[in-house]
Amino acid sequence: MQENKQPKVQVRNLTKKFGDLLVLDNISFDVQAGEFLCIVGPTGCGKTTFLNSLTKLYEPTAGEILLDGQPVDLKKQNIAYIFQEYSTMPWLTVEENVGFGLDIKGVEKSKAQALVNEYLDIVGLTKYRKYYPDQLSASMLQRVVIARAFATQPDLLLMDEPYGQLDIQLRYHLEDELISLWQRTGTTVIFITHNIEEAVYLGQRILVLTNKPTSIKQAIDNDLPRPRDIASPDFVKLRNEVTDLIKWW
Amino acid sequence: MERSEGNVKTKTPVLECRNVGRSFDSYDGSGKNEVLRGMDFEVYENEFLVLFGAGQCGKTTLLNILAGLDMPTEGEVLARGQKVTKPAPERGFVYQKTSLFPWMTVEENVGFGPKVRHLPEKEVQERVKKYLDLVGLTGFEKSYPNQLSGGMRQRVGIARAYANEPDIMLMDEPFGHLDAQTRYMMEEELQRIWQKEKRTVVFVTNNIEEALFLADRIILLTNCPTHIKEEYEINMPHPRDYVDPEFLRLRQLITDNMDLTL
Amino acid sequence: MIDSTTNSRFSTKQLIVIYTIISLVGLLIVWELVARFTSASMFLPPASEVLAAFARSFVEPIGQHTMLAHVGVSLYRVAVAFIFATIIGIALGVGMGYSKLFEAIFKPIFEFIRPIPPLAWIPLSILWFGLSDTGKFFIIFLGCFCFITVNTYDGAKNVDPELIGAARMLGASEKQVFFKIVLPSSVPYIFAGLQIAVTAGWSAVVGSEMIQSNEGVGWVIIRGMSTGNTVQIMVGIVAIGIVGFALANITSALERRLCSWNAQKGM
Repeated sequence: MQENKQPKVQVRNLTKKFGDLLVLDNISFDVQAGEFLCIVGPTGCGKTTFLNSLTKLYEPTAGEILLDGQPVDLKKQNIAYIFQEYSTMPWLTVEENVGFGLDIKGVEKSKAQALVNEYLDIVGLTKYRKYYPDQLSASMLQRVVIARAFATQPDLLLMDEPYGQLDIQLRYHLEDELISLWQRTGTTVIFITHNIEEAVYLGQRILVLTNKPTSIKQAIDNDLPRPRDIASPDFVKLRNEVTDLIKWW
Repeated sequence: MERSEGNVKTKTPVLECRNVGRSFDSYDGSGKNEVLRGMDFEVYENEFLVLFGAGQCGKTTLLNILAGLDMPTEGEVLARGQKVTKPAPERGFVYQKTSLFPWMTVEENVGFGPKVRHLPEKEVQERVKKYLDLVGLTGFEKSYPNQLSGGMRQRVGIARAYANEPDIMLMDEPFGHLDAQTRYMMEEELQRIWQKEKRTVVFVTNNIEEALFLADRIILLTNCPTHIKEEYEINMPHPRDYVDPEFLRLRQLITDNMDLTL
Repeated sequence: MIDSTTNSRFSTKQLIVIYTIISLVGLLIVWELVARFTSASMFLPPASEVLAAFARSFVEPIGQHTMLAHVGVSLYRVAVAFIFATIIGIALGVGMGYSKLFEAIFKPIFEFIRPIPPLAWIPLSILWFGLSDTGKFFIIFLGCFCFITVNTYDGAKNVDPELIGAARMLGASEKQVFFKIVLPSSVPYIFAGLQIAVTAGWSAVVGSEMIQSNEGVGWVIIRGMSTGNTVQIMVGIVAIGIVGFALANITSALERRLCSWNAQKGM
């Protein structure tokens, strides 16, 4: 994907102040199309502000964010989010939840239906399409959310610690599923987490943030072969390296 | 830790869980919903026992039964040989949600137990001071829970349980709501606190790193109905390292033995 | 989401004050214009006239008293009834929320009384208590007591069971659980109830004074009606509005002070 001249996302000198309080300090980085970027920082680093600036909930004090060379415009461009809360609509069925994003974007009915079917099949929920969220387990809900995000075929997928509270085996399982979905679709993913191991397990590149005022401490390329083994010496070495950059506790 | 497998078994248990089962009437009243089945284990003096398993079902119910907040439908729980029938200050409880009393300051929360048990005011104050110091919160006496961070609130929860000087501490996923890094910090803190003031602890978690970091012994639970699948003695010396090869080996071993609940 | 940095000239708080003032001044202007330039002028005296009369009412007596004394009489009636309503309402609410037995005994009676508007009791109150203050206390009491009870009941029902469990684990007796956990944890609900109740009580006093009385703000209004003095009616209404507004604000300020722990719903 290196032949792609223009990066998918360009963050240029992103700065955010609340009054006199500097929260984001001159952050610049690129994300290539189809890249899986993990961002990890210490607890209490301006993670939320960072995310809200990326999604334009906050107007940055200085700097800009370009998506495909254009300033981010949520009406034209398609950014999908996955947060820790499952954020499914309890009054919609699985199928309707997956189609929700498409519906909002005004995708034509038959095309939307085809996409919903496709992604329900990919995450293995076709059998449960008529179920309501409160009839599903945590992992199924998480899959509904993932299917909903991927179904909109986003230009950029932002994930904010989606697996924070899950059992470890389930987390492994969903992480592997995420990787395979990403490999299949070539979606550009920014994945933010506090969990260093998770960042090392998932990311092609890891952006390590400093504490407030937040800036980029280091960017680390991660070309460990997949599927990655958390107990392998190379993995442990990289995990330790990132831990040393972050450790405050 | 000088405690070996051999001499643990000879000690008298602090808490005995005898073939405990728990069923609830299902919502539509058509039948029983079995949550716990045949739970049979002992907890020994000053042991750090971790009950580890995936999913929501069963673990909290079990801990509530050990506490005397809930009654088993089968079997019984004995605390120092006495049947447990109701909550008692001899058993301290630390909650995932911390369940601090939000209208009380930190020191009022920590002093609540000694106070309702009518200990002399001087003793109450001494304990508050001692245990706030133990958890590293001296200086926050007058703060209210909503002014504290998640990690600090959990420290107050631990101090509050300690202040009653209980015979046994029951901890229900106390760090479950914290982020991964704060969690590491709190695990190290709890280990430090526990080394300094040994207590018998039953600690419930679904986090394997946490289980391995803290436990003398891990009981692996299965899901629905919850029962015991496996037991592991953990003899690694403290402080433990999350990326130590032995740590990672045990982690793999136990994780592979877990049920995957999809 | 309000971004506090986008509007640097005024803080959000200042903006709220500014808009409140604009809204009130706007109301007065519309009132004045409507009263002066439309046919409504027959029934609606202009704002300026009413405000002037309102100011005058503090020095020139209406009936036997000046406005301050009328308001004072009405407030006194509300206060007495409100105190009784608070005590009984909280006791009944917490009792019903905490004890199933208590709930079974009192809830049906309460639910029967609740939907009856306080003014419907007035004829009965006149028969029972005559035209004394007691009758007015009775009406005002009925006007505010239900709100306090319902809210307290909600609060006591919604105590986090884990907090009760935590207190029991720490050795608290049933009595201690009740007084140290159930009661304080219902305080924010109780305050919400008191806030509605004080306004409701204030409405009830006006109603009860309109029936039979020779002092109080309710009487000012009814007196204005019987003498065909629209300005006096409006003066009474303005006084009621201002006092009601003040009462609501005082209780909410009190709540903020006493329930600061509830400011952000922590864990």
